[in-house]
Amino acid sequence: MPNDATEPMSRTDGTTAVRRREFLKVLGASTAAATAVGCTNEHVEQLIPYLTSPDNTVPGVSTYFATTCRECATACGVIAEVRDGRAIKLEGNPDHPLNHGALCARGQSALQGLYNPDRFRTPMLRQNGSLTPTTWETAITTLTQRIAGARAQGQNVVFINQAESGSFPSFIDSWLGAFGFPAHIAYDAEVDLAAREANRQQYGGVQAPTYDFAAAKLIVSFGADFLETWGASVPQQLAFGDARAALADAPRFIYIGPRRSLTGLNADDWIPARAGSELGIVNALLAASGAGGSGTLAAAAQAAGVEPAVLERLSTDLRAATSSLVLAGTTGPDAFQVAAAVNTLNRSLGNEGKTVKPAEPIASLAGPVAGVAHLAPVIARMNSGAVPLAFVRGANPAHTTPKQMQFATAFAKVPFKVSFSSVPDETTLLCDLVLPDHHSLESWGDAQPVPGTVGLQQPVMEPVFTTRATADVLLGIARADATLASRFPVATYREWLTARLGGPAALTAALPSGMIAGAVEARTATAPESDAPGETAPLASQTGDFDLVVYLSPTLGDGRGANKPWLQELPDPVTKICWQSVVEIHPLTAGRLRIKPGDHVTVTTSAGTVTAPAYLYLGVRQDTVAIATGQGHTGYGRYAERVGVNALDLLTGSPNGSGGLALTQLKASLTKTTDRSMLVSTEGSARQHGRGVAQAVTAADLLAGRSEEHEAFPGDKPHEFLPGLKSPVASDAIGDLGKNEHKEQGMYKPDHWSGMAKRRWAMTIDLARCTGCSACVTACYAENNIPTVGARWQGRSLRPFHTSDGSGWDTRPGANILKGREMAWLRIERYFEGGEDGSSEFEARFAPMLCQHCGNAPCESVCPVFATYHAPDGLNIQVYNRCVGTRYCSNACPYKVRYFNWHGFGVPARRQYAFPEPLNWQLNPDVTVRGLGVMEKCTFCVQRIREAENRATLEKREVAPDEFTVACAQACPSRAILFGDAADERWTMAKTVQDARRYHVFEELNTYTAVVYLKKVTHPREEPNAARPAGGAE
Amino acid sequence: MRLSRNWAIVPGFFAIAIAAAILSAYSGASSSQGVAPEQPINFPHPVHVQTLGMNCLYCHYSANKSPDPGMPAVGTCMGCHTIIGPQRPARDSQPARTSEEIKKLQDYSAKKQPIPWIRIHKLPEYVHFPHMRHVNAGVTCQTCHGKIQEMARVGQFASLNMGWCLNCHVNGYNAADGMRAAGYEPTPADTAAPIKKARYDCGVCHY
Amino acid sequence: MATAAAPVTPRPNVASANVQIPGIKDYSEVDRDIAATLQPTLGWFGALGFAILCFLWGAGTWIYQIYWGLGNAGYNPPVMWGVYIITFVFWIGIGHAGPLISAILYLFRAGFRTTIYRCAEGMTVFAVMTAALFPIIHIGRPWKFFWLIPYPNWRLLFPNFKSPLIWDVFAITTYLTVSSTFLYIGLVPDIAVLRDREKNPLRKRILSVLSLGWRNSEPEWRHFARMYLFLAAFSTPLVLSVHSVVSFDFAMALTPGWHATIFPPYFVAGAIFSGLGMVFTIIVPIRKFFKLQHIVTINHLDAAAKLCLTTSLIVGCAYLIEFWVAWYSAVPAEQEYFWNRVFGQWWWAAWIMLTCNMILPLSLFSQKLRRNPSWLFILSIFINLGMWFERFVIIVPSLSHEFEPWQWSSYTPSWVDLSILLGSFGWFFMWFLLFIKQLPVVAIAEVKEIIPPRLRSHKVPEEVDVSGHHLPYGTDTPGEFA
Repeated sequence: MPNDATEPMSRTDGTTAVRRREFLKVLGASTAAATAVGCTNEHVEQLIPYLTSPDNTVPGVSTYFATTCRECATACGVIAEVRDGRAIKLEGNPDHPLNHGALCARGQSALQGLYNPDRFRTPMLRQNGSLTPTTWETAITTLTQRIAGARAQGQNVVFINQAESGSFPSFIDSWLGAFGFPAHIAYDAEVDLAAREANRQQYGGVQAPTYDFAAAKLIVSFGADFLETWGASVPQQLAFGDARAALADAPRFIYIGPRRSLTGLNADDWIPARAGSELGIVNALLAASGAGGSGTLAAAAQAAGVEPAVLERLSTDLRAATSSLVLAGTTGPDAFQVAAAVNTLNRSLGNEGKTVKPAEPIASLAGPVAGVAHLAPVIARMNSGAVPLAFVRGANPAHTTPKQMQFATAFAKVPFKVSFSSVPDETTLLCDLVLPDHHSLESWGDAQPVPGTVGLQQPVMEPVFTTRATADVLLGIARADATLASRFPVATYREWLTARLGGPAALTAALPSGMIAGAVEARTATAPESDAPGETAPLASQTGDFDLVVYLSPTLGDGRGANKPWLQELPDPVTKICWQSVVEIHPLTAGRLRIKPGDHVTVTTSAGTVTAPAYLYLGVRQDTVAIATGQGHTGYGRYAERVGVNALDLLTGSPNGSGGLALTQLKASLTKTTDRSMLVSTEGSARQHGRGVAQAVTAADLLAGRSEEHEAFPGDKPHEFLPGLKSPVASDAIGDLGKNEHKEQGMYKPDHWSGMAKRRWAMTIDLARCTGCSACVTACYAENNIPTVGARWQGRSLRPFHTSDGSGWDTRPGANILKGREMAWLRIERYFEGGEDGSSEFEARFAPMLCQHCGNAPCESVCPVFATYHAPDGLNIQVYNRCVGTRYCSNACPYKVRYFNWHGFGVPARRQYAFPEPLNWQLNPDVTVRGLGVMEKCTFCVQRIREAENRATLEKREVAPDEFTVACAQACPSRAILFGDAADERWTMAKTVQDARRYHVFEELNTYTAVVYLKKVTHPREEPNAARPAGGAE
Repeated sequence: MRLSRNWAIVPGFFAIAIAAAILSAYSGASSSQGVAPEQPINFPHPVHVQTLGMNCLYCHYSANKSPDPGMPAVGTCMGCHTIIGPQRPARDSQPARTSEEIKKLQDYSAKKQPIPWIRIHKLPEYVHFPHMRHVNAGVTCQTCHGKIQEMARVGQFASLNMGWCLNCHVNGYNAADGMRAAGYEPTPADTAAPIKKARYDCGVCHY
Repeated sequence: MATAAAPVTPRPNVASANVQIPGIKDYSEVDRDIAATLQPTLGWFGALGFAILCFLWGAGTWIYQIYWGLGNAGYNPPVMWGVYIITFVFWIGIGHAGPLISAILYLFRAGFRTTIYRCAEGMTVFAVMTAALFPIIHIGRPWKFFWLIPYPNWRLLFPNFKSPLIWDVFAITTYLTVSSTFLYIGLVPDIAVLRDREKNPLRKRILSVLSLGWRNSEPEWRHFARMYLFLAAFSTPLVLSVHSVVSFDFAMALTPGWHATIFPPYFVAGAIFSGLGMVFTIIVPIRKFFKLQHIVTINHLDAAAKLCLTTSLIVGCAYLIEFWVAWYSAVPAEQEYFWNRVFGQWWWAAWIMLTCNMILPLSLFSQKLRRNPSWLFILSIFINLGMWFERFVIIVPSLSHEFEPWQWSSYTPSWVDLSILLGSFGWFFMWFLLFIKQLPVVAIAEVKEIIPPRLRSHKVPEEVDVSGHHLPYGTDTPGEFA
């Protein structure tokens, strides 16, 4: 960690008061774009050295800090790569018990929270109506006075904190207790309280058991989106990926629910049960297996609006399966009952301890968490004016509670409101005092991922702005109070933490690994006060033709991701929509109502209405409409503003059986309006048209060695992947494929001393593992300085003349993406198979598509200036500074993986600049920031290859097998992507490339791609008695 | 006759134009070779390197282990200059004097400000130049930076044009020449050393 | 063979070699009538002013685009080429009528070329000048354009000679050089005529320099004839090669709808067709406003219209063969693309193309219409439109509907594209309008060629007639010098 002794020069720049440090490379990175477009070595540039050089850091060489991710409650372990004092990349901690090195898109985007241009630079104090910057001294004095004033009616002070594991919650409680304030409320709109509560009751206090997907033969999920927003998604992805990697023996997966989520798309079967009918199904299943329960399958099927036979088969399979796993994540008013019943079902099927493991809980997903039911009384008290003082930190209830609950109005009635949020959000903007907290990457903390292990959170860099750790602020205030000083012996939270974690020595020893044995002492406070779960009328009894399904966005969550351009730009894995809210309607329904994609439809419930463009999705029931949460912010910074609608406006505050908000509770009616707007989607055609991009093979065929070859044209023979030097390298550099002796060599002779020509960098992508979660996409953005292009100021010109207010520019969110100009070097293609008739029996296939680094590349021969050419080590190189931008290469590329920099998104001077200060601090110094008018594309992370080569040379050795990997492969939570040297069989990838399922996309074009896909394995249901060589039902 | 002279102008003009174009193309017009700006502190390399015999790596401490050579922190300078103050004693030829430059240095240090050096050797960001690869390959600093040890004021020695880089990458680096460039007599080992070539694939430096 | 009193029947069968100008009696009439066209008129100034305005607007837009980036054009990846490349191919195509008419038809002794070839040649030069701008306009970093030219440089880098774009650079520059030389050489005797008629000393000076001191002597005519013959032979292959090279830009890329061996002949035919279209667009107004109906006779138009019809038939045939090949190839991507071209997303563009280039020109089978200038003019407008859309149909639908279904997209030009398109017309007509008022749009010398021999019995002393010339040999074969 940087310590104060090595505090380098910091300059305060008048406009933004950014505490910034100037370094050769970091400075370079931010001006790189300017230089990428031509020689600018004329302009005078300064070299600002350290004041005192920090120990054990070398300029231009990265240092790595193990810390803990705080983007969701799971608290995965991350490694922060820090270059010259700036965090530039987050990667999973390979040794961490939960995520084993993987990291989801939201976790990686923590960096854009750290460098968010809208962060508070200083404390803010409300003076005559508006929040105005102030000093820490004033801020703290004000707060101290207010606290003193509030102690009289201390019992009514409210402290709302985000739900997090670790010592901090109990620290707040002790602090609050010291002042005689009640324990805080940990509010998190994303947590599935129902499942947690059910588990707690039935598994002896364990709220989140781990699930062993691999041990199951049949997985049934009642709306539990365990690959995206339900529970600990990254660990679950890893487990699910490993389970699917068993190929033929992999478990079948059946998803039950009114909407087919990303998890649902990974299922082999989807039972489109009507919203609210899940409980009936579970009970019927229980009854059928003679383990209590009630009701018949027929009745349940009737209620669920599915064929009785479907449930019959489900029941049979469940009982036939040697081991199974049933998950419940429904969001209806009866969510708790469903979860409880499912736990019973698991027990009756003997899954407990086998596939459901309460013995190995995910400790971070524990502790009392409040839902809307627990907020309701607080809101009441605020309304009554009884609350003298309110604190909010990390949570944003003003946006994540339904409008009908009136949180904002009630909160506004509190005489003095304090926010510790470091970015403006809806709740903070209501506050009277803002004491911006450090970002989690700037501050100390801890978490408990699994019992017996504490994950450490340490500052990886100096604070970007003049913020302060909330814990330190609170400590300071307490110690300033003579009566309390004794109770808080230490001055900083760091010391407080050190004491708890066994002393400085132990801590220092543990920091490198980011983990320390031990336990965070659990929060002493009891579960927050709660009214009896409000009784909501069942869906059936309400008016409206449609069931309304509101679901948590996989990318934005409850909305906390909306101010991070990476997440806004990341297409939703299912709908492929970004920078927009859409109403998902079934195509047949839409046809009936004459709704075309993009037509604005108004959704009305008893609670409210929203209007958004329609999106036609096969994966919702015909009597259901679905909307994602996360958008519709009013005060969450430049990236979130005026984007989409807030789906929660459609809901009443009525909770489910355990206090959580019931997201699926109301009937809705649908009316088409006259407006329409284009869908901000990256999707061209959702069908493969027999092109064989994403291929699949059934488990049975795989076992029998059958696999129908994809035939691009009659008589087309698939060719073997030829690794290494045997693959024809388009030797543009010597411009002669004609001569035989050149066929197998590039620029250099194969025996060239550099050894370059001996290598063949290549990649395998296992579609059986890939879940389409898109973590790799964000990893690519982070590693390669890819600009996001969807912000409102990045659009193109619509008129020759512009006024200063930006009129004349296309300011629609995602304007560039409407023109297909997204820059994602790596995209996830989501294709549908079947279901053309609108039936629910369709299959989804995900294919990550990136530059295929063809051995015989169509793009190379057409470039007039050698800006793209074939490197001897198999890379298809793109030389940005040589590119003149004819875009001919893109026309020639069959995979369409080349992207053009239309507006100079990397040029700071430009309107369309993608990295407003200090977002540009994150830019990877090893990668050129591309400027105006050049072509760019996936480079196989050539900077990492060169780095490894440099390291090896420095240590006088060869690059070791699996020594490094590329960003997408590193991040992939299902381990679908493998990178390596196909010419060297010691690399793992060189083995997987020989897998029987391998194929090239468009191999009939003889491009000899270096990216090899392994076919997806599907598991269609077989009659239990049908003989199967392995696995299945014996 | 007059007419012929009239229209002989035309081809003549074209000839001149083409010649000019080719010339400008050859003379890497974009290079800032030879630029030697005034620095905030007139740091005398000769004194430190020749008189005191300091090693380059003492100040440019990461040149052999990082792409980035490293600039000495003010603290590094003060390491010596807390003792070696601005009051310079009389030396053989020179009388006693006060060094303005050391005073400036101490001011910076007192004000806790770094020294805003003017950058001289600057490659565009689309070029990645790993110093350590070159230093560890035995390329003498002076091969690219010129005889720094003799420069009262440092200026850009080489053109730093791509052709200039390629010249070495393709034809190879000769240890003996390197030593001579540095102003030293090549040792027998140097003269015996084989020519060191380097990769000249575009993607080695441009990415 | 032209005979003394060849009666002009109401519906003559116009053999290409038998084209006469009964309206002209005398060499001096030729000089007078054609020189008369050089007097600037108000209408001309108006037209020129408008052309310049259009050009300036286009130029301004280009500067805007260079600053704000290509993103302001309507590109919609993967449609990475759009209006600019379409217009580039369009103008190159226009440029093909010139050498065809002046060179190939010259070698084939087609007399009807005599009165229209000067116009066509001028058009060619300016069309190529226009086309040559577009490769620069359409690239992302125009200021680096010179990297496409092989020149020794300190980067030790050369362009990639495997890239069709480099071939383009060579093809276009060669074509521009040769066609402008050809134009100029043909002009020399006519410039001499103007020189001798010119009163203004300055203009006279300039003209005399340009006329290279032409004295109308026999050796000069001999050399001139050889030179002209040589250049004709030299530029004939260019007519075929240049547009073949342009077609390689597409044929060499691995793209459905592009990757076809039929492209070179298909493009050349298309180019000549469009060139003839533009010739009509230009010559019909010219003969009307310059009152040259008696020199550029209906017979000339009729013959040219026949040529136009022929090329139209070739082009139409090529269209149909493309569909057949797509079907026969059995490559799904290819088949889907062609289906999409006519019945899918882009049906309207394809049908504009087919109507204008294949169906409407069939009207030229009727001699009545062939001999109706107004119809020829209207038709020529349709042909220009159709040929622009032919390039649109080749470029945009292919790119928007390639192998990768996930990346299928659409395309709409933006105001920037259209402004620059407009500017290109402004640029072209600016030059052309200047041309027709400075230099004779009809070849004076060659027109004198085909004036019936009997006129030469008039007493016209050689020494007086500085501009007229006598044939070295007795035979009178129109359009031939030596």
